[in-house]
Amino acid sequence: MYTIMNKSLLMKLGAAALLLTLVACETTVSSPVVRFQRQVNYGDAKGVELVTNEFGSTDLQMIAEKMVGSLLETGIFQGRPTVTVSTVKNKTSEYIDTTNVMNSIQTQLVKSGKVRFTRSIQEMQSGVDELQRQTQSGLYKQKTQAKVGQMTAAKYSLEGELTSIVKQSANTKDVFYKFTLKMFDVEEGTIEWAEEKEIRKTSKR
Amino acid sequence: MNTTMMTSRRIAAAALLAGLGLLSLAPAQAEESDASSPAIAAKMNLRGKPNGIKVSEMRIVRKNDVLVVQADLQNVQNKDRMVFHRFKWLDANGNQVGDGESWKQTPVLGQQIQTIKSVAPSAAAVDLRLEMNVEAK
Repeated sequence: MYTIMNKSLLMKLGAAALLLTLVACETTVSSPVVRFQRQVNYGDAKGVELVTNEFGSTDLQMIAEKMVGSLLETGIFQGRPTVTVSTVKNKTSEYIDTTNVMNSIQTQLVKSGKVRFTRSIQEMQSGVDELQRQTQSGLYKQKTQAKVGQMTAAKYSLEGELTSIVKQSANTKDVFYKFTLKMFDVEEGTIEWAEEKEIRKTSKR
Repeated sequence: MNTTMMTSRRIAAAALLAGLGLLSLAPAQAEESDASSPAIAAKMNLRGKPNGIKVSEMRIVRKNDVLVVQADLQNVQNKDRMVFHRFKWLDANGNQVGDGESWKQTPVLGQQIQTIKSVAPSAAAVDLRLEMNVEAK
């Protein structure tokens, strides 16, 4: 009788131990990160990029989202005003294509339907070339030609700046980025809106 | 014989108590206290376990025609946690508005409350989901 009882007891204890093991070994979910791996895969373009602590895709996306969110939240775009993109200065020690940051901001703002963008200084020449082709080449029907002198001027101008502070010790590197964006009233020259995004990235060897 | 029976019963009882004690360690405590309220949980897509992080408050307001959300991530444990999160904006039909936000990584120290914020990409957004997972450091 005791043997049967002991066997039953042992089985119960074994089952309890197995349950404990299963609880302990439960797999955890993976995080949406992009790390260095020796294989090629298509990854999530929106994933948190942690390959190095230099300026990366996640920094660009976070900056664009913060700037767009702040602009939409303030309600400065009542009546769909016209805006142009001016300069974005890169004052960091890294090579960063700041046009990319502004392109993301511009695209998200255009998609919001709250604002209209006019050609920037960099985009102007191609616009002028197309106007001249239509009006001066003699190739187009008169009534379909775009008229010269009908462009809408921008009410506001966006100007940005990216700076960084880098600190490094034997085994730690700390990078602090700050992106500042200001919106000027072109006519009055006043700052009508400004926002900052701060990013801290620390890596250890 | 009686002594043997008593001893085996004591061993069994001790093993059972030990097992229960093991089960009732930190995870059980966390599961009890890190659960977000049902109203907030309805706005969340949590992957995996909360690992001590609960969304204690979620404030949604419409500002200048766009939805603005703030969520408080509360670490109910002493252990520091890394939270990966993003907001997903939905229109009146339940479709996603825009391309989706980028994932963000936010460290939440033990017993700390971190506020995260987002603004809808357009006026079409009428609802949201907070997608998140908590990495155990």
